[in-house]
Amino acid sequence: MAQAHPDISALEAQAGRLPDQMPHPDGGSGGIVFTDLSTCGKLNLRCASDVSSQIIRFLGASLPDKANSVTTSGERRIIWLGPDEYLVLVKTGEEDSLSSIISSALSSQHHAATIVTDALACLQLDGPAVRDVLAKGCALDLHDTKFTAGMCAQTLLASASITLLCEGDSSFRIICRTSFLDYVMAWLKDAACEYGYYVTPQSNI
Amino acid sequence: MLQLPCPYCGPRDELEFSCGGEAHISRPLAHNKISDADFGEYLFLRDNPKGVFLERWRHASGCRRWFNVVRDTVSHDILEVYAMGRKPRSSAGKNAYNNSWRRTSAAEAAAVNK
Repeated sequence: MAQAHPDISALEAQAGRLPDQMPHPDGGSGGIVFTDLSTCGKLNLRCASDVSSQIIRFLGASLPDKANSVTTSGERRIIWLGPDEYLVLVKTGEEDSLSSIISSALSSQHHAATIVTDALACLQLDGPAVRDVLAKGCALDLHDTKFTAGMCAQTLLASASITLLCEGDSSFRIICRTSFLDYVMAWLKDAACEYGYYVTPQSNI
Repeated sequence: MLQLPCPYCGPRDELEFSCGGEAHISRPLAHNKISDADFGEYLFLRDNPKGVFLERWRHASGCRRWFNVVRDTVSHDILEVYAMGRKPRSSAGKNAYNNSWRRTSAAEAAAVNK
């Protein structure tokens, strides 16, 4: 006789899956708000940094010329990943046209523009507790005078590989593999319990 | 834990890196005349010195780039970090490079077109 499938929701309850909303233990507003921005377009760009002037008008911003930094144009983010590698975050659905525009603009150069929208997840974190929560699982110096708006880093958060973007004093984005999002989210909720948190529905940028 | 200065990202914890073992091992060309014993030396023999060692490291959870490190295996001091394809420039690194038995090995001689 075939064995019955285990009851998934019972397993989740057993694993202590946390709810989408946790008030601050002392009352008052929550310390951190999570927003899943995973539907935003993502483009991995491999090219020499000196092509920046050729594609700046398509990207809207120049390629970041410093390591661990981000350039911004409206909703777009161009994130430094390596000396010849960048990640471009764009509005949902814009990545296809941008990819072909960049490919034709750089057709004479050694380059690769790869759409990685579905491979990577993107999570927005806002609130006064955001640095304290991240510091529980990340070895970087996240003090607000050290890791400031416009900086990024590829590092580990609770052993998961992430790209961390600082958007402001109390605003961050985490980009991780889609397959790691459940784990990262579960870890973040657990880490944020003492400050209170709220998970908003998935939204586009 | 070591803290390694990634030449691209800056100093990070050892957890973010993976070690690729001894650096500067040249692969003999496909058409070479070295003996099996000499090829075996290239393939299997690795140094494990007490003191200055030239190593390859990869920033696995960061920029994913390979680079070379001059490390003292006794004090764990990182003496120099330099790009792949380059040679060490610090005196400790130069000495370790020049004094390695590989510089006179048949495998290394067979790694370049002559």
